[in-house]
Amino acid sequence: MKPQILSLEGVSQIYASRGSKGWRREYVHAVDGVDLDIREGETLAIVGESGSGKSTLAKMLLMLNNPTKGNVTYRGTRLKSLGAVERSQYRRQVQAVFQDPASSLNPRMTVEQTLSHVANRHNIVAKADLGRFLKEQLAAVGLNPPEQYLGRYPHQLSGGQQQRIAIARAIMLKPKIIIADEPLSSLDVSVQAQILQLLSELRKTTNVGFVIISHDLGAMQSIADRTAVMYKGRVVEIGRAIYQSPVHPYTRLLLDARLLPNPRGNRIRSPVPKQVTPTALSASTGGCRFLQRCPYAIEVCAAVDPQLQTMDGEATQVACHRAKELSAALTPA
Amino acid sequence: MTASQSRRPGLTERLLDVHNLKVHFQVSDRTIRAVDGVDFHVRPAECVGIVGESGSGKSTLVRAVSRLMPNLRINELSGDLRFEGRHILEMSERDLRALRRSHGFSMIFQDPLGYLNPTHRVGRQIAEALSPQGKGRPDGQRVHSLLQEVGFSDPKSVAHSFPHELSGGMRQRVMIAIALASDPKLLFADEPTTALDATVQLQVLQTLYRIHKERNMAVVIITHDLGVVAELCDRVYVMQTGKVVETADTVDLFERPKHSYSARLIELSAHRVDFRSAAP
Repeated sequence: MKPQILSLEGVSQIYASRGSKGWRREYVHAVDGVDLDIREGETLAIVGESGSGKSTLAKMLLMLNNPTKGNVTYRGTRLKSLGAVERSQYRRQVQAVFQDPASSLNPRMTVEQTLSHVANRHNIVAKADLGRFLKEQLAAVGLNPPEQYLGRYPHQLSGGQQQRIAIARAIMLKPKIIIADEPLSSLDVSVQAQILQLLSELRKTTNVGFVIISHDLGAMQSIADRTAVMYKGRVVEIGRAIYQSPVHPYTRLLLDARLLPNPRGNRIRSPVPKQVTPTALSASTGGCRFLQRCPYAIEVCAAVDPQLQTMDGEATQVACHRAKELSAALTPA
Repeated sequence: MTASQSRRPGLTERLLDVHNLKVHFQVSDRTIRAVDGVDFHVRPAECVGIVGESGSGKSTLVRAVSRLMPNLRINELSGDLRFEGRHILEMSERDLRALRRSHGFSMIFQDPLGYLNPTHRVGRQIAEALSPQGKGRPDGQRVHSLLQEVGFSDPKSVAHSFPHELSGGMRQRVMIAIALASDPKLLFADEPTTALDATVQLQVLQTLYRIHKERNMAVVIITHDLGVVAELCDRVYVMQTGKVVETADTVDLFERPKHSYSARLIELSAHRVDFRSAAP
């Protein structure tokens, strides 16, 4: 197994906000005690609904936010303890690609300016070689011929081309890992496929690792080595085969909610009423946070918050009290 | 054709019939052929999907039909557009308004927050759609029954909320309630669930489908998601660069796509491509 590059230990991010009623502060646990290991060169997908804390997690990995509790460790060093020089090195080795390329590129800078700005900032290439270097970078992300693109402004590029520039900007620093926050969701399906293709090629040629945050399980299934499912600030399931054999009820719910391009599926046309009996149990005293939506809730779920536990024989971890029963029920022996 | 004749349409009759629609915009010194000779029809109580990628002209098509054109220089807007036999393009603003206000067509959009007034409570905005000129007292009873129809179990508290207090799925339901206020025969839904989470998307689409069936209301769904089409639509139009490249019954399109572009879209949305095979 490859060495781990980034690891999170009990990481929490708590945002304070003015309460909806009155002036009392309310605290939102955006990320609430996440343990996660990211290995070198692997592609880890983080999926979940909006508000599950995926983007907050990405911000902490990028050092844009400091965790309220817990530690993020990069190759054995805590991010909190990094000095200014080390921090700059960290930022060079951990790069970002964001959801909306139009707003993550400076509209007043040409492609050449955007890229050379980063190249100069990190001193990665001699001034004399800069032109050639930039052309190589553009060619590497599939923008051919590169001369055509250097002088353009972001608004003169299509969404897919903009996202390629954003990827070029990240990859040119030869990072160890790229954190991509919803890199596909503002793109068309055919362009999404091209970007996924590009990411997997880059992975092969540069051995860079990816943390891809997405709500599109289908796209992640086609690229991720491992997938972590987040719900209300927690990782509820993580593993390699969550698409084929999901265990956690929430993972199943997400997979069931996908609209498949099968016109004979008839799920909306003649929906089978799901056997979800709203549970009378309440998790006011720290039970499972999925309790209210869970069709399998039992008493222990209302009392004890489930921790991630390894399923035997597989590299899957699930935070559910009934994980063993559920996975046994799923695969008839 | 008079309105009374079209009250009871036969099955083969067309509620909306569009022939050779062209919409060309002037953008700086170029002409953009957003919609370029499209034939399109909707039968009563039918659900039709329009799929295509951004820039394919699917939204422009629907906006031209409902005469909600963007504020651009229009070089050409031509074609034979009929709603219940009446020429839409030749209709006066007054007739058009009457059509939108009762038993005509309504529209819902991708981003409900952009179309709801943030300073007014939801109930008031629905009441406004019920009596658009502000005449008479707002009909609380009808507001509540509309909210119930779109799936709110507690219409009173929803009617009393501001848009920002509702979740994305709830806002889209409110938009649907507003659209239903005019009791339309045809509902255009422009990417109605694109901004929503998967689980919420499923619920909103189920609601939309139920209303479509209960009211016998025709629905035109614009989407780039073939999953939405597969789940909901009877027929599909596939658009590319302003033209309809293929039209078929949904099952036929998915099982025997004729155009290579349709086949490619179906392949991609089924995620039959595994990008990991390229990895070491």
